Amino acid sequence: MTPMRQAAAGAPDAPEPLVLALPKGRILDELRPLMEAAGIHPEPAFDDPGSRALRFSTNVPGLSIIRVRSFDVATFVAFGAAHLGVAGNDVLMEFDYPEIYAPLDLKIGKCRLAVAEPATLVEGDDPTRWSHVRVATKYPEVTKRHFAARGVQAECIKLNGAMELAPTLGLCRRIVDLVSTGSTLRANGLLEIEHIADVSSRLVVNRAALKTRPDEIGGWIEKFREVIDGIQA
Amino acid sequence: MNDAIHRALLPAGLPDLLPPDAGHEAAIVERLMAAFGRSGYERVKPPLIEFESTMLSGSGQALATETFRVMDPISQSMLALRPDITLQVARIATTRLTRRPRPLRLSYGGQVVRTRGSHMRPERQFGQVGVELIGTLAPEADAEVVVLAAEALQAAGVPHLSVDLNVATLVPTLCRALNLPEEDSARLRSALDRKDAAGVAAVGGPAAALMGRLMAASGPAARAVAALSALELPEAAEADRRRLTEVVRLVKEAAPSLMLTVDLVEHRGFEYHTGLGFTFFARGTRGELGRGGRYRAGGDGRDPLSGEPSTGFTLYLDTVLRAAPGPQPTTRLFLPHGTDPGEGRRLREAGWTTVAGLEPASDAGAEARRQRCTHLLVAGEPVALD
Repeated sequence: MTPMRQAAAGAPDAPEPLVLALPKGRILDELRPLMEAAGIHPEPAFDDPGSRALRFSTNVPGLSIIRVRSFDVATFVAFGAAHLGVAGNDVLMEFDYPEIYAPLDLKIGKCRLAVAEPATLVEGDDPTRWSHVRVATKYPEVTKRHFAARGVQAECIKLNGAMELAPTLGLCRRIVDLVSTGSTLRANGLLEIEHIADVSSRLVVNRAALKTRPDEIGGWIEKFREVIDGIQA
Repeated sequence: MNDAIHRALLPAGLPDLLPPDAGHEAAIVERLMAAFGRSGYERVKPPLIEFESTMLSGSGQALATETFRVMDPISQSMLALRPDITLQVARIATTRLTRRPRPLRLSYGGQVVRTRGSHMRPERQFGQVGVELIGTLAPEADAEVVVLAAEALQAAGVPHLSVDLNVATLVPTLCRALNLPEEDSARLRSALDRKDAAGVAAVGGPAAALMGRLMAASGPAARAVAALSALELPEAAEADRRRLTEVVRLVKEAAPSLMLTVDLVEHRGFEYHTGLGFTFFARGTRGELGRGGRYRAGGDGRDPLSGEPSTGFTLYLDTVLRAAPGPQPTTRLFLPHGTDPGEGRRLREAGWTTVAGLEPASDAGAEARRQRCTHLLVAGEPVALD
């Protein structure tokens, strides 16, 4: 925080700080045009790959941006450390935090959550006979719920990336992961065998923050809604 | 392997409260209870443990999985440690106080325990204080408890209070009126509780468009009520709409500066509520300070007309304490060893907190500081220490 901002925070009519949590990586490229259209311009350091800053100011007084891992966006927003955020419904489904509202589908970062297994296994496999599966995934909760709903017990091996390696190296035979084009799966000899959910990025807000600052936070939801509707039209 | 538990370790969710926090909590309870008392609410004190079969009947079923149970060696029955006090107060009102004229105003304060903490409240033991207003359907009763909770919280020093009103029956009523199958309406309610716009559109079927509009209309009370009155609603929802509009008007009249929002689709946590409900928040404080609303005292939890129409609220002390200003530094006056007991009594009567030296000390000032005193008695007069 610059000294000028600190002084502003002490003034009686200074805007209360508002924190927007954004995920690192791929989604951010798709998100930037939406942010620009909604009138949020981050400080130059935000686009500087050499910058080590984690928190950035914007042109909007009081509004700052934090850049964290996609799973952490949900955690920051759920506990009210960030008021607004952008998170995929894959992450929201995994945590199922009751304190997160997801009032707007941003329709970016589209992909799907799916079960995959080696092509060689698919031929002789009959999923209706399963009583237990072992699955490597970043989404143990979603995976357990998905399989439990059809009467199958899922033993999950939590991995944080490179899921596709697990079947190849014999860690387990099946994975649950995000699939966008399917090329990574194919390159590793895997076939998508079950669809779990369609995924896209959502604008999320902290429940208590929305209830106690309805005009301000409701205003941002509206602005993003107008941007999305504008793109649709 | 040495598995001995460290002496300081407590089971998850069960903290020790130390000075000054324990005293601070008690003082806040005192202030809240006094505010309830001034509005004619009289205190009751149910026991900590009751028969499981009575405690968890009716609307208590919702808390069955969160309740600690013990076997009573005397009656050989299963007993439940209370997970909530509202249930007990409703029991008192509808059994031992049936001959008291209605409306009946009762208040309570005490500790509850739960087997599991939640995401927002990891504590498994926490304090609840609240009121129940039993035997009236008047919208004035709804407004009275909302305004009373707000006044009590403000008296306890909670700044930037915000009240969110809802009608737990509105969404189920609309789902039935639009002939939505039970399974779909459960999924729809879950999506609505998360304000998951995409989910509502996906599972809402014939109700999706209306639910989307109700969700968008939620927000500051004046705007939400205006939006609600402009909506085409099935006849069955008319009672809910009238009640909400009237209570908003009454609360605005009684507490014009109170921040009031309306959530037209909230249902979570209000499963056993039978009408208007409300949740208290404070800006910058994580989670809910308290909640309350319409229920049927003594109802069986199935027949919506069994029991007496009632409303009330519960405040959660752990969250109230996070929202209220912290304990104020206290003045403590050190009475050196040998001070006349009558002198000490006179000072305490004058409002001083005194700490007596139990042994002679060579340097009374240093001893006073060691005992965390702010003042020292010198020649019969309190003198401030730096």
